[in-house]
Amino acid sequence: MEPRYGKTQELLYELKIEQVMRTDVVTIASDATMSELREILREHSISGVPVVDGDELVGLASIEDLIRWLSSREPDCAVHEQMTRDPECLHADQPLVHALRRFDESGFGRFPIVERASGRMVGILTKGGIIEGVLRKLEREFKEEEIRAYRVSHIFEDLLADYKEIYLTYNVPGKDFDRAGSASTRMKRNLKRLGIRPDIIHRLAIASYEAEMNVVIYTDGGTMEYRISPHEVILRVRDRGPGISDVEEALRPGWSTAEPWVRDLGFGAGMGLPNIKKCADKLEIDSHPGRGTTLKMRIFTGEADEAQ
Amino acid sequence: MKLKEVVELLGADLAFGTDSQLAEEVQTAAASDLMSDILARVDVPELLLTRLNNSQVMRTSAVFGIKAVVIVRGRAVDEKMIEIAQEEEIVLLTTPASLFESCGKLYAQGLRSAQPSTDSSRS
Repeated sequence: MEPRYGKTQELLYELKIEQVMRTDVVTIASDATMSELREILREHSISGVPVVDGDELVGLASIEDLIRWLSSREPDCAVHEQMTRDPECLHADQPLVHALRRFDESGFGRFPIVERASGRMVGILTKGGIIEGVLRKLEREFKEEEIRAYRVSHIFEDLLADYKEIYLTYNVPGKDFDRAGSASTRMKRNLKRLGIRPDIIHRLAIASYEAEMNVVIYTDGGTMEYRISPHEVILRVRDRGPGISDVEEALRPGWSTAEPWVRDLGFGAGMGLPNIKKCADKLEIDSHPGRGTTLKMRIFTGEADEAQ
Repeated sequence: MKLKEVVELLGADLAFGTDSQLAEEVQTAAASDLMSDILARVDVPELLLTRLNNSQVMRTSAVFGIKAVVIVRGRAVDEKMIEIAQEEEIVLLTTPASLFESCGKLYAQGLRSAQPSTDSSRS
């Protein structure tokens, strides 16, 4: 069984430390006093700061160091006397999941982040920063998908014209059972993005899929053309197959010319055309033996009263 | 019941399914080897049990909006089926149990049929 990862775990692998670390790092000079440290922590509402000597990182001074100093009742002294020396640093290009592991193993509250090549400190990472970063990323991804759906569903409103129509075509190869149905499932996704009502998408997808299967099973191939306008979808399915000799008979439930192998696929029980007819608001079949078949179905996409 | 409980109940192997999918509740199921039969139904079952193991089972489920597919009698699923399961976000299980036994166990746990009517009534 393959391991499964939730969206959050995926993010922890995907995100780099540099994407979530704080870059506006507050630092303190190593010769500053402990009371200066207290002021800095209070002023910025933070629990620790990197200690620098010029440009060089020499330690970390945290609220724990401050409490230890306060309870010892020693006189004010330089930060470098109380700080944690040679703090463990993480690299900016490491995945977030690595940082999380180090937080767990070490029990530290923060890590200075350095650039791998130069060794220069470029940021600081806290557990709070990780949570914030992951949430930000989740929110962004959610918004992007929302915006995409919104954009498509408003295409018809946003485009100015007297007549508007989206025209999409799919080639359906005959006898290709691995791909059979892929035109209809792709189209179903498009219809969702276009913001069409779910019950109408359902009917369209079924009619489309039954028609697609007929093309794959009985012919050498054909095309499916969708014309989507604000109030209806018209689907034309053309094939170069043998044609239907008696269209009226073919619409009778149970009527079938299918060979046994078609039934092994789960089709061929003479339910395809009747089902298409049931799902479509209007169905026209134009078929000539030896010249192929064209199905034209219309499905109204407006509100129920408009569809009458 | 939750889909992960279905996995346990049927002693099924998980061919595809994410944790969040497996945490979903299912209440209705249908069993059939005839995909046209499924497509002619009025209600959409959440679970489809079938002996068929081909791409069409997955496409039919995608078109119809079925959440999870159970292939019975230990029949193998191929790469293509798993690929479609992933693409269309459909849980795919295989169980060594027979169709009869699988349905019986699920029914005993409270799963019921979606309305199987094939008549032309449509609201």
